Amino acid sequence: MRAEPEDGELVARTLRGDSEAFATLVERYDRAVYHLSYRTLHDVEEARDATQEAFFKAFRSLRTFKPGSKFSTWIFAIAYHACCDRLNRRKRYAGDELPDRADPAPGPEHQVIALDEASRLRAAIEALPEKYRTVVTLFHLQGRQYDEIATVLGLPMGTVKTHLFRAKEQLRRLLGGMEVTE
Amino acid sequence: MMSMDELERAICDLPLEEPPAGMRASILLATAYRPAPAFSFLDLAALGAMGAIALWMVVLLVLGGGSLFVHTLETIGATLSRALSNGATLAWLAAGGATALWLTLFTGSQPIALAPHRSERRTGR
Repeated sequence: MRAEPEDGELVARTLRGDSEAFATLVERYDRAVYHLSYRTLHDVEEARDATQEAFFKAFRSLRTFKPGSKFSTWIFAIAYHACCDRLNRRKRYAGDELPDRADPAPGPEHQVIALDEASRLRAAIEALPEKYRTVVTLFHLQGRQYDEIATVLGLPMGTVKTHLFRAKEQLRRLLGGMEVTE
Repeated sequence: MMSMDELERAICDLPLEEPPAGMRASILLATAYRPAPAFSFLDLAALGAMGAIALWMVVLLVLGGGSLFVHTLETIGATLSRALSNGATLAWLAAGGATALWLTLFTGSQPIALAPHRSERRTGR
């Protein structure tokens, strides 16, 4: 059985003109990138557009991708910044909430309704302030790779760890049915 | 209350959002499977230059007839031969050609990549 090619190899093949290699990268990450975009933007159409924009930008600037670094982190960073740009535009027109870097205020605190476990968790994540929600979403996508999460968000690793710890504390309280105070 | 480990496991086990139908196809059509343009930038530049020269010649023929056309071509030919017989001009041309050739060794035939995204600039990637 042939092993799946590494992301770095697929990037190198794409740069040599192999379009199938980039198609494989899209198949590998489009769902995760869409997930991040949707969790950041809360809008299906905008998340779809941000995902497309991220892959388009990645394709056009693939030569700037450093061999040895992680493609997932790179594409998540591009997608996250595409989402931030969209949120900035939204804010300009509608005074909407900005994520993380510019948002010290807590987000809406919805009552976590008693559904099945995954739905309750989703609802609890939705109830988190934006800065915590994004960190939890990236934790979901990248696992415990705090340096990768920090790279995507452009934040110090300590801040990421603090945000994640506070997010988990809030989630535990929300899932335990307690009021969240911050 | 759920422990931190249980919570982390639950977060990591959450299924990803389902993307809208057709999203992957539209990404691929805009990137990997994008049809190649019929003409490259250099092709278009060469075609444009030839078109402009042809138009100019037609204008010369229409306005001044055959004599103006021939006179103009002779003038251009004389100017070119004078310039190319000058040693300094030839030296500058050679230097320019050599520099262009040297630069292509670094960039190859690939298009110049876009500037890195601000996230990459900030993190030094």
